[in-house]
Amino acid sequence: MRISKLFIDRQVVDHPVTQSIQARLDVPAIIAQSARQVHEMVASAPDPVQSAKEILYLSRNQGAFFKRCPGTSHYTCCDYRILHIGTFCYMDCAYCILQTYFHPPVLAYFVNHEDLMAELDTVLAQKSIFRIGTGEFTDSLIWTQWTDVAKLLVDRFAAQEHAVLEFKTKTTAIEQLQNLNHHRKTIVAWSLNTPKIIHTEERGTAGLSARIDAAARCEKWGYPLAFHFDPLIIYDGCEQAYAQVIESLFSRLSAENMAWISLGTLRFPPAVKPLIQKRFPDSKIVYAEFVRGSDGKMRYFKPLRIDLYRKIIASIRQHAPDVVIYLCMEDDEVWQKTLGFKPADVGGLPHMLDMSAAKHCHLKLDAIP
Amino acid sequence: MDSKSSDDRKKSISITPVPDARTDTVSLTDIDTQDTTYRITTRSQLEDLLDTIPSLGLLHPPVLIESASGYSVVCGFGRIAACRQLGWKSLSARIHAANQNRFQLARLAIADNSLQRPLNLIETSRALNLLVDTSPDRQQLEKAARELGLPVNPSVAAKIRQLCRLAIPIQQGILSDTINLAMALELGDMDAKDAETLVALFSGLKLGLNKQRELLLLATEIARREDISVQQLIDEQAFQDILQKADLDRAIRRQQIRSLLRKRRYPAITEAETNYQKQVRQLKLGKQIQLFPPRDFEGTTYAMTLYFKNHQDLRHLNAKINKILEHPALGKILKR
Repeated sequence: MRISKLFIDRQVVDHPVTQSIQARLDVPAIIAQSARQVHEMVASAPDPVQSAKEILYLSRNQGAFFKRCPGTSHYTCCDYRILHIGTFCYMDCAYCILQTYFHPPVLAYFVNHEDLMAELDTVLAQKSIFRIGTGEFTDSLIWTQWTDVAKLLVDRFAAQEHAVLEFKTKTTAIEQLQNLNHHRKTIVAWSLNTPKIIHTEERGTAGLSARIDAAARCEKWGYPLAFHFDPLIIYDGCEQAYAQVIESLFSRLSAENMAWISLGTLRFPPAVKPLIQKRFPDSKIVYAEFVRGSDGKMRYFKPLRIDLYRKIIASIRQHAPDVVIYLCMEDDEVWQKTLGFKPADVGGLPHMLDMSAAKHCHLKLDAIP
Repeated sequence: MDSKSSDDRKKSISITPVPDARTDTVSLTDIDTQDTTYRITTRSQLEDLLDTIPSLGLLHPPVLIESASGYSVVCGFGRIAACRQLGWKSLSARIHAANQNRFQLARLAIADNSLQRPLNLIETSRALNLLVDTSPDRQQLEKAARELGLPVNPSVAAKIRQLCRLAIPIQQGILSDTINLAMALELGDMDAKDAETLVALFSGLKLGLNKQRELLLLATEIARREDISVQQLIDEQAFQDILQKADLDRAIRRQQIRSLLRKRRYPAITEAETNYQKQVRQLKLGKQIQLFPPRDFEGTTYAMTLYFKNHQDLRHLNAKINKILEHPALGKILKR
């Protein structure tokens, strides 16, 4: 995806990060008097989502950089924390909830790194175990082509022993991670799917083998890894296809270096369905058997989810009996029927992941209650 | 839609008389009724005219415009057709020169219909399109629409304008009150054959709008998922077996078609529902106990409602619940 327009909020025109991005992005800049100007331009386009993927807006984050992941009380949440470096993404996944999460979506990057780092310093000074990611409201690594944010964060996390940073991506943009003294405090994670789904539903993302190649390079550079089979999408032959993805994964990478593997079946707010139908007319993913979940999102009928999870977990266990597997936003019934235990049996999902983070990232265990 | 009655409109309207029309006798063979530029009416029934013209003659002469091959009709398609059926060779008509102002003629054609009776949706659509095609500017367009009792709200007018361009079966569905404006526009976005299939289905089963929407959604989603057309789906033997059972009550056929579509669209969910009902029947709950599963079997909490009038009733239910607790069917329900 090519950025065709660069908007710079008038407050950050002279900011050094702005100037650095401008120097790397060969697009004429327009000074925006306010965010509204950009929002209106995006919203007035025939396809606002597509338009938002081509317009980059540089601004100052006026709010908090550090946030709780917006999980819901109806399903088990992992107590993840978000470092809010920017919003949206130029890759184009049919199922992406960011298409409707922001009104309208805007590909925005916050250049006030000094505020980001100051807030992060305060958080890290608590010396609590945190799992912090930058990949909830955007892809973690798309920004590395224009900014040094990855290096900045890896360096900062390397200098402490209580929190881990997780980069989640569908790219292969890992060059910035090479030759950093990360001290294993940064987990590099890939969202994985079958080649068919990547080809049909994840426009502009790296292919499966490219993602695994990139992961192998990161492993070689000493980074702990994680993988997210999310969203798992049900289609004819999907079980076999996911088994092949898992086979490919473990043929290249060491299970011992994986902090966790998460599984989550496709779920989306009802408003995403018409958007998928309009923007991805050939996509069939919305025509599966969905019900409205307790959190209001559309989810596969529970027995179908359980069936797929069981098969995928069995497949992973064949290769990696001890790797930490968790379910993203599922209830106790699904945990029990697929993994054989409930999160509460192991002290809760956050504790389970904290322990794995501590083990793989050499965190100080004294911070774990 | 404008709610003004045609009498009210007659009082308020002031269509400027079209100048330069002459009255003349015209051979019916010189009138081209295939040119429907100014045709507003959807009526094809001529009985009234066939009854009155022989005794009273033509009370209002048709309005024609000169064309390269003779004349085209502005007003009076029905009258001309009736005269042809009655074997007339010629008739008296008001004739305009070929260069007559088209907007004026359009207003005349619309007024000739809308001042006599409320227009149906297709006629309204034709009238609006005719005005849009001929009006010199937006202001005059809106003024004319208002005078002629046509909808002036831009959003409503834009929707209605699409109707007369939809496939004929959809237009017929509107005229027969089988489908409404919203459904017509939805069908208009579909493949013409699929739309025709659905209109026939809705008409045959006499479905209300909500049921139409449900069937439309089920059928189109199945079709998209399975890479078939809606027509192919409905042509399948299982559907045709139900639709062709003319002796079967229409309400039952409706229910059977809906069930068939739902089962095809949601096989796992409908199977779970069927199994649940099967187990519940084995519990023999009676009329005083109702058991409710979690919505869509997503949650894990079941609900039970008891109906009783006195202590004795409740004691009886208590004993029954104790039996239910031991019944293997309850175990199957809760285990799922």
